[in-house]
Amino acid sequence: MTGFARLAVAALLAIAASGIARADDALKAKIGVLRLSSSAPVFIAQDKGYFREVGLDIELKFFDAAQPIAVATTSGDVDFGVTAVTAGLYNLAGKGTLKVIGGMSREKAGYPLIGYFASNNAYAAGLKTPKDLAGKRIAVTQVGSSFHYSLGLLADKYGFKLADIKVLPLQSLSNAAAALKGETVDAALLPVSTARTLMDSDGAKLLGWVGDETPWQLGAVFASPKTLTNTALVTKLLGALVRADREYHDVILASVKDGKAAINDKTKPLLEIIAKYTNLPVEQVVGNCAYIDPDGKLDVKNVANQISWLQEQGFVDKGFGVDAIIAKEYVKAD
Amino acid sequence: MLDRAPQGTQDETRPRPVAFRGAGFTPSAGRYSGWIALALVIGFWQLAGSAGWVNALFLPPPSAIVAAIYKLALSGALWQHLSWSVMRIGSGWILGTAAGIIVGFGIGLSTLARGVGITFISALFPIPKIALLPLLILWLGIGEEPKIATIALGVFFSTAISVYSGVDAVPRNLIRMAQSFNVPFHLIVRRVIWPGALPSILAGFRITASVALLLVVSAEMIGAQYGIGAFVLQAGNLMQTDQLLAAVVILSVFGLVVGKGINLLEARLLHWR
Repeated sequence: MTGFARLAVAALLAIAASGIARADDALKAKIGVLRLSSSAPVFIAQDKGYFREVGLDIELKFFDAAQPIAVATTSGDVDFGVTAVTAGLYNLAGKGTLKVIGGMSREKAGYPLIGYFASNNAYAAGLKTPKDLAGKRIAVTQVGSSFHYSLGLLADKYGFKLADIKVLPLQSLSNAAAALKGETVDAALLPVSTARTLMDSDGAKLLGWVGDETPWQLGAVFASPKTLTNTALVTKLLGALVRADREYHDVILASVKDGKAAINDKTKPLLEIIAKYTNLPVEQVVGNCAYIDPDGKLDVKNVANQISWLQEQGFVDKGFGVDAIIAKEYVKAD
Repeated sequence: MLDRAPQGTQDETRPRPVAFRGAGFTPSAGRYSGWIALALVIGFWQLAGSAGWVNALFLPPPSAIVAAIYKLALSGALWQHLSWSVMRIGSGWILGTAAGIIVGFGIGLSTLARGVGITFISALFPIPKIALLPLLILWLGIGEEPKIATIALGVFFSTAISVYSGVDAVPRNLIRMAQSFNVPFHLIVRRVIWPGALPSILAGFRITASVALLLVVSAEMIGAQYGIGAFVLQAGNLMQTDQLLAAVVILSVFGLVVGKGINLLEARLLHWR
């Protein structure tokens, strides 16, 4: 019996102690991310303790698609989301349930992320450059996705109509890859990670990278209005993220040559962190480094363009602009 | 061991009047109760939406759904989506049903077909057709073929099973009697087995029609630009919850219409019952 009493006292003390500890760093938050290198600064800030140093207790929640992160942020299951901006996210933001507070990955020349790929037959028949995509049958994952928007930008750049392209939504990357390999589409837009196995097995030909053709703001940091009222939390989180952005940019992105980061004494520790969180070997991480602005800036002009394009296509509800979905007090514009 | 209740207490000679108890349970379909309940639920839903009890994003009120359907109808997109889906559902269902009836009768009438057929049906029926989508794309491309094939496959198995169990359930003495009168085989099939199995086949239709509606969403995952299923997927991807529910309502109205159609078919074909 006395043993039990001692145990109970110990338990009580432990609870009290944890209570005190909790009072010490009261700023707890959850971040929803994908296991993709486009969220590299989040992994670096978490692993190297940048969040802890500014007094944040951050828990990472991993998702397998961009859309559920936006939904989880809306419903309050996570406090912050870091992922690609999609039509679904803009629709949620347009209803005032979340706001963009910073920039993340970008399509930028020299940093391969999403590519245009041709099937072997279409390539043999003369589909050699992204310009030739006009009038072809092209697989994407979903309508209104990053891939669809990239096609829209390409159409604008080369002056053809998006309506001339037959855009085929196949719902998943594996379906799109299967269609490309089975020669049932002329081309597909795929991320470098999916396309690598196809290219290695000679199942498709690379036409070019979206970043080289039409750079745009791909990813962002966002939060719900309720989280945004906690100014201390948001400021500290963005501060820690920018520190990691800067380190990622200066160490890894500075070493990128021909679309691949170098593996050396300086880059290795960071690459290993990214490899750990993305469950990829370091050799694959180096060819998959998304560009991220060193100051965490957001290309507001491009976000405005995305919204108006998506509204024009009918994928995003009309009646709001970029100002309505951006938390101006936090965002650093490009 | 069982203790009997003491019987001496009752006077067994005097008849005891008892009200008629054996009426059974006969729930009769009330004419209005269903509609009233539906109206009440929809009214409460609308109230919850307009009063702001629930976020319109999480549960769009009925008015928003009706507005979304109206907008769709006005833009003409609704008819485009519907006609594509009806074409796919119709051709997939007809193909699957025709094959299912042939195989089902084969299993019901022939020993060899029974052994082979039941094994294959049991082995292939539980495969989720969605898991085969990448393979179907490789085999059939991304035109109309894989979409129709997805629906036809789903319909085929249920039909085959309901047909052969219907054939099995035809009273054997009727078949024996026809055989004793030296009625030729094809006439026995047409005049005895077919009408005898028809109730079960039509019950199967009721299920397969719903299966076809369920499968149109997964069928239209394969590169469909138009179709109710494609529209459901698009609305979900874009988080346009009012349009998502609008498409769901359209699908369930479609289901109601098909159900009514099968009712009519049953009344016509089974009037002898």
